Amino acid sequence: MEDAKRQEFRNALRQTKNLPTLPGIVSKLTKMADDPDTTTEQMGKVIGQDYILAAKLLKLVNSAFYGFPQRISSISSAIILLGFNVVKSLIISASIFEVMEDQDVELWQHSLGCAVVCNVIATRMGVKDPEEVSTAGLIHDIGKIAIKMELPSEYEMITRLVRERKMSMRAAEMEVLGLDHAEAGGWLAKGWNLPKKLLEPVSCHHDPRLASTEQLNSAIIHFSDIVIRGLGYGHAGDNKVPMLSKRAWELLNFRPADIDEILEQVEEKLWDVKGFSLEIKAEETSSTVG
Amino acid sequence: MQQILTLQAKEGMVLAKDVMTAENRVLCGKGTPLTASLIERFLKMDIVQVTVEGHPISSPGEKTLPEELHDIEARFSEVQKVPPLVYLMKRIMKNLAESRGQ
Repeated sequence: MEDAKRQEFRNALRQTKNLPTLPGIVSKLTKMADDPDTTTEQMGKVIGQDYILAAKLLKLVNSAFYGFPQRISSISSAIILLGFNVVKSLIISASIFEVMEDQDVELWQHSLGCAVVCNVIATRMGVKDPEEVSTAGLIHDIGKIAIKMELPSEYEMITRLVRERKMSMRAAEMEVLGLDHAEAGGWLAKGWNLPKKLLEPVSCHHDPRLASTEQLNSAIIHFSDIVIRGLGYGHAGDNKVPMLSKRAWELLNFRPADIDEILEQVEEKLWDVKGFSLEIKAEETSSTVG
Repeated sequence: MQQILTLQAKEGMVLAKDVMTAENRVLCGKGTPLTASLIERFLKMDIVQVTVEGHPISSPGEKTLPEELHDIEARFSEVQKVPPLVYLMKRIMKNLAESRGQ
């Protein structure tokens, strides 16, 4: 591939003219969180100003998707009970949900399923704030959406290669663009000022060795992607289970019994999130009509 | 297990999941065999779906078990030399067969 062409694709994906931006509230809250004088009430108030976002956040918190044991009815109790980092990931999830659900329902299903597996594995491994890993799982394929929206004719060529030559989406991306969705997703996450804990698992989910600090989280996303593709839940562009990274397997170090338990928990949870959507508007309309 | 419409529920089917009220309280625990009066009660309470053991209702266009197993094998076709993934595949197949009552 010519370098000039590759650079052109890079620029298009970096500028992301057609992709919605994350709500300004995310960076505002990040700034507030860095200030030790910020109180829970102040933060709750800022989130509460955007009532649609606040409603989505509470819906997400109380869904089977995250599955917190008690019912949480206000933003400030969410902050107190879950901690600010978790709430921030939830806001990112709630915002990205919308972008993904609108663009590609099958890919969104895949991402949602992947996030469920991430949550099960992260909790099992005792990772601090497993919700952050779920959020990373939810957005791991965001680069595919970026390619679809910013480079539509190249995207068309990629899907044709997948269909006609039975290539994996990633191999087809490499052939057409000279880069893959993981790299593109990493740029997007960077543009959104997402923390490294979210950025690295996105850009390194096919090869956790590339991560500088978040190898374990990247390995969790890597294996969750394999599990959810194996289960055939949603559709990520092609239907092949990708190769297992040796490094990821070293880090996870699962025995067969672990796999059995993970599958059992995942299948139970997937059942609950089936059809889960943050589409609050539709519900409001139908309840007024009904 | 299978999620079905309460309208499709028949006496003798066994609940595979708790039936919850709108207030998130357990109305009827998993393992309970359904009776006509229970089903009627669920319908009155606007509980539209229940999850039951096995796979009693087949919907049109639904794949058969051998078709599903074949799909799973196809998805794993490129990783047949990776022992942990082969184990994962076999386990997914086994779980599916069991959930279909076989």
